[in-house]
Amino acid sequence: MTARKFPLTSILAYAVLIIGAIAVLYPFVFMVSNSFKPGSELLNTRALFPQTFTLTGYTGVFEELNVLRLFRNSLLLAVPITILNTLLSALAGYAFAKIPFPGRNYVFGFMLTTMMIPAVLFLIPTYVLIYNIGWVGRFESLIVPSAVSVFNIFLCRQFMSGIPDELIEAARMDGAGEITIFLQVILPLARPALATVAILTFMGSWNDFFGPLLYLNQPQNWTLQLGLLQFRGTVPGENAQQIWALTTIITIPLVIVYFFMQEQFVKAFANVSLSK
Amino acid sequence: MSTAAAVQSARTSKPAAPSRLWQRIRRNGWGYMFIAPWLIVYAIFGLYPLVLSFFLTYFNYSFVNPGDQAFVGIGNWVRGIGDPLFWKGVSNIAINQFIFIALKNGLGLLIAALLFRVRFGGRFFRTVYFLPVITSTVALMTIGDKLASPDGPLQALLLNGGLISRPIFWKSDPSLPMIVIALINTWKWFGISVVILLAGMYGIDQRQYEAAQVDGASSWQLFRFITLPSLRPQLFFLFVVDVINGLQMFGEVFSLGFDVYGGVNHQALTPVLYLYATAFDQSNIGYASTLGLLLALLIAGLTFLQFRFVPASEE
Repeated sequence: MTARKFPLTSILAYAVLIIGAIAVLYPFVFMVSNSFKPGSELLNTRALFPQTFTLTGYTGVFEELNVLRLFRNSLLLAVPITILNTLLSALAGYAFAKIPFPGRNYVFGFMLTTMMIPAVLFLIPTYVLIYNIGWVGRFESLIVPSAVSVFNIFLCRQFMSGIPDELIEAARMDGAGEITIFLQVILPLARPALATVAILTFMGSWNDFFGPLLYLNQPQNWTLQLGLLQFRGTVPGENAQQIWALTTIITIPLVIVYFFMQEQFVKAFANVSLSK
Repeated sequence: MSTAAAVQSARTSKPAAPSRLWQRIRRNGWGYMFIAPWLIVYAIFGLYPLVLSFFLTYFNYSFVNPGDQAFVGIGNWVRGIGDPLFWKGVSNIAINQFIFIALKNGLGLLIAALLFRVRFGGRFFRTVYFLPVITSTVALMTIGDKLASPDGPLQALLLNGGLISRPIFWKSDPSLPMIVIALINTWKWFGISVVILLAGMYGIDQRQYEAAQVDGASSWQLFRFITLPSLRPQLFFLFVVDVINGLQMFGEVFSLGFDVYGGVNHQALTPVLYLYATAFDQSNIGYASTLGLLLALLIAGLTFLQFRFVPASEE
């Protein structure tokens, strides 16, 4: 990488990066522009951009499906799961990091062991359990089991171990109770870890369709992802326009959030690898 | 305090231990309260299903007739180990993951190396490459399905370039679906490799490069003998996670519209898809549970082998 060689290799590097960016973005452009094409154009032409611009895909999908209800259902899962999981994982993570209760290391070791068990093992027995409780078709079936997770506790614990004990002791000296310390000292300091946990949890729930497929597979309970999946399966070829509109509708909100918070999103995923 | 001294003090203080333990519990009892929500949820939705899964494998159990449980002993295990469909799923995944892991991490490494070198626009490119990662599988497979379809733009490009002579109906082909899924998944996930490997590159001591450059090392040699070995922990992490997730693949195939048996020739069957079919199409919960355990054992075995034979670092 000497100064003399820099321009040529640099031009090559940018060329590869730009080709890569086009390859990554093309499918998204393809999706959005298809969503504005009339049905005949989707069938017969190969032009990327619509020749006649139409919104019938969007109006059609709102007639066929209760799209707002799909949104509502997705939010009814993702919001409580994210809030509960972030709060409860932080709570347990704090205990594992800073409260030396007897038996702590054993419980923590046990927790780490359970982290290694592949998720597929729990699939069927959990379904049997939830079926027997009578939660199939109810939102609790996904919210309660996801209310706290081992991996997020681990992430919080790793981060909170770095918080100086003196800060906690000082708050205790000032007469703060344990819950006050957690809420007013620990949570603000652990904001980066909480952001990571919240982003990963929200995305996991928002993008998941397997959970809703198993437990919420009645049209009135469909989430956005499940709605798209089921809608694709109904009338093959008939509703191409509407499928593109729906795919765009479910993709764009998260993309917008991502562009505003991309630093946090990328960090969230990088944190996952660093904590191992 | 040395270990010997610690043992000594532990011994001498033994008679007082119960009251001191009680003191520690009293002072730190909050800890139990704070982990209680997790413990309760985990006991019900983690430990109980774990025990239940072992129990279920010894029965033929269906939701249709819950009373009709037949004890089959290790019958489900014998059937699972010899089940050609289960192994068809495993071999499909093996092909898929071989291509996916090589492409995704190779591409990730190349892009990360380029991003590490360029002076301007690195953040912009990283943001773009990460975009598919946050997009849902259902949406991406809906797009990928159309992009790669016989009348889609990708095949049109290949036809124009003379690389293929006629449209390919890859979904019904006996071997192509898992390859196409690997390509779509590479597009979806390589951004993760970029971000993780780039973070690793920023962690490398730059003086190593300067010293090697003084000795006249080429760019390739710098990459081969400094960058690559330094990225071992990151690459190892990516491999382990890829194998664990890959063997549990399900959503991709389902989103592409294959039936629960992965098509007529089971060309897109994965182990989890087969498990799903066993439980919800054949309503055989006991056997599905066995398949889940078999797959979990396979994953655990592979992960163990990776840790055993590919040490993450020299430490």
